[in-house]
Amino acid sequence: MTSKISEPQNERPIEITEYYKHLSLFWTDIIHLMSSKPQALTSIGPMRAFAANSKKISVELIEINEKLFEFNQHMTEYYKQLSDTWGVAQKKVNQKVPEIPQDVEQIESVKRVWIDIFDNDFTELFDSEKFGDNYGNLVSKELELTKHWNNITNVILQSVNLPSKEEIDEVYKEIHSLKKRVSKLELELKKEKRKNAK
Amino acid sequence: MQSESSIDPKVIEEILKFSKNVIDAPKLVSAPDEINLEVTPHKVVQEIDKTRLLHYKPLVETKYKTPLLISYALINRYHILDIHPQKSWVKNLLEQGFEVYMLDWGTPTSMDKYLDFDDYVNGYLDTSVEYIKNQTSTEKISLQGYCTGATIATAYTALHPENVKNYVATAPVIDGWKDTTVISNLAKHMDADKMVEVIGNMPPEFMYYCFSVLKPFEQGIEKYIKFFKNIDDKKYVDNFLRVEKWLGDTPPIPGELFKQWIKDIYQQNLLVQNKMHVGDELVNLKNIDMPVFTQVAVGDHLVSPECSMPLHYAVGSDDKILKIYPTGHVGMIASSLSQKKVLPEMGAWLSERS
Repeated sequence: MTSKISEPQNERPIEITEYYKHLSLFWTDIIHLMSSKPQALTSIGPMRAFAANSKKISVELIEINEKLFEFNQHMTEYYKQLSDTWGVAQKKVNQKVPEIPQDVEQIESVKRVWIDIFDNDFTELFDSEKFGDNYGNLVSKELELTKHWNNITNVILQSVNLPSKEEIDEVYKEIHSLKKRVSKLELELKKEKRKNAK
Repeated sequence: MQSESSIDPKVIEEILKFSKNVIDAPKLVSAPDEINLEVTPHKVVQEIDKTRLLHYKPLVETKYKTPLLISYALINRYHILDIHPQKSWVKNLLEQGFEVYMLDWGTPTSMDKYLDFDDYVNGYLDTSVEYIKNQTSTEKISLQGYCTGATIATAYTALHPENVKNYVATAPVIDGWKDTTVISNLAKHMDADKMVEVIGNMPPEFMYYCFSVLKPFEQGIEKYIKFFKNIDDKKYVDNFLRVEKWLGDTPPIPGELFKQWIKDIYQQNLLVQNKMHVGDELVNLKNIDMPVFTQVAVGDHLVSPECSMPLHYAVGSDDKILKIYPTGHVGMIASSLSQKKVLPEMGAWLSERS
């Protein structure tokens, strides 16, 4: 059974990424299998699970690359929406203020018009479905990038015998659950004491 | 050459004056870090995890038997309710003769990411209420919630009506689907599960982004121009810096609490439909049968009136009042209007029932 992949024929980013992902996995797997026996000698040193860790990190890096592509698409759309709104708002200001202001009062009123139109137009944008949708996706992709970064950090942490984020989270969860049980019991006890004192 | 001669000399004068104000500002004004936001004297009477229960020292003889506990919002800190001696919500209530407590939610750390509505409602808030009841030898207290603090207080009042004599909801976040603000639009499109899974607590920086899209030009540019223009006006500058310092200090929101808040309030709108669960208990707003005072600001761009007003119609109480004030979210609690109108009306209402 093989899952080989042919060299990319055109330069579409997804295909190129897939190709390099396969290439990387192929060589890291082969190296891992070839080196697993002598590696046992270093099973407690800093080189422990070096090949397996390298593989995890390369997979994460490749996936970060994919996510970066999607993140950039949403980021571009985000700035396009801001820039389009700016353009429309500026045109409205130009129509309302056809002449260059000459004195302090005129400058002040032009500034007021500018702020009002820009605030209205941008609020309308931020309130729109298209902005909310793209912004939600942008944040979501940013979180996925962070998740890959966390995964890489976890590999490094575990290679030096430190707990991963998930393991620390387990401890937090356990502490939270214990504290909750204790505080509920304490509160119940206080209520009971108060009732009995009456 | 013609255009040069047409420039009003006053314009040059204004520019020079503004530049001078910018240069002189550090000599005239304290740095925000040097300003102490705690105005009215108080004692910390109870601390649980990161939360603190504050008890304000009476300024006149206490006239009313029922103490008042304020449940502040999850965003920014309680200081806005005591921001300046002339605009202090707390001080005004003390001067009216009420005994005032405030719940400070503190600053959650990564360790607190599993804190949820149940911990806040049935844990911190309930423990504070029990403490106050015990200390003041009363069976019931008056509860006031502000903004998201009112969401927590509303859930508490529905689950523990036996402990609440009067309930005041100030700009409460209740009906997420009716909220017309930019914040609600962002919240509706947010993947809260992913955010909590990856980041843990909701980071303050994310809240600052949300604030930055609210009237971005008025708040991001004009406000600071006004500040430098009025740099000689001590009263204006002092008030400006206090509010700015308050705005720039928001704690993270515990992950699970944030997730439930976004999903249950903004995305699925469960609270107002009586479908929200806190712990294992269903929150039914019809259980709120004590006197209820709902305060709403018509110009609120953080919690729109349409989001707050449904509380008035959803509660089971017969003795209820809805007041709409011509101000904004912060104006309702820390302005001359709040001192002259909002607080006297709330005080009068509470005094008849305390």
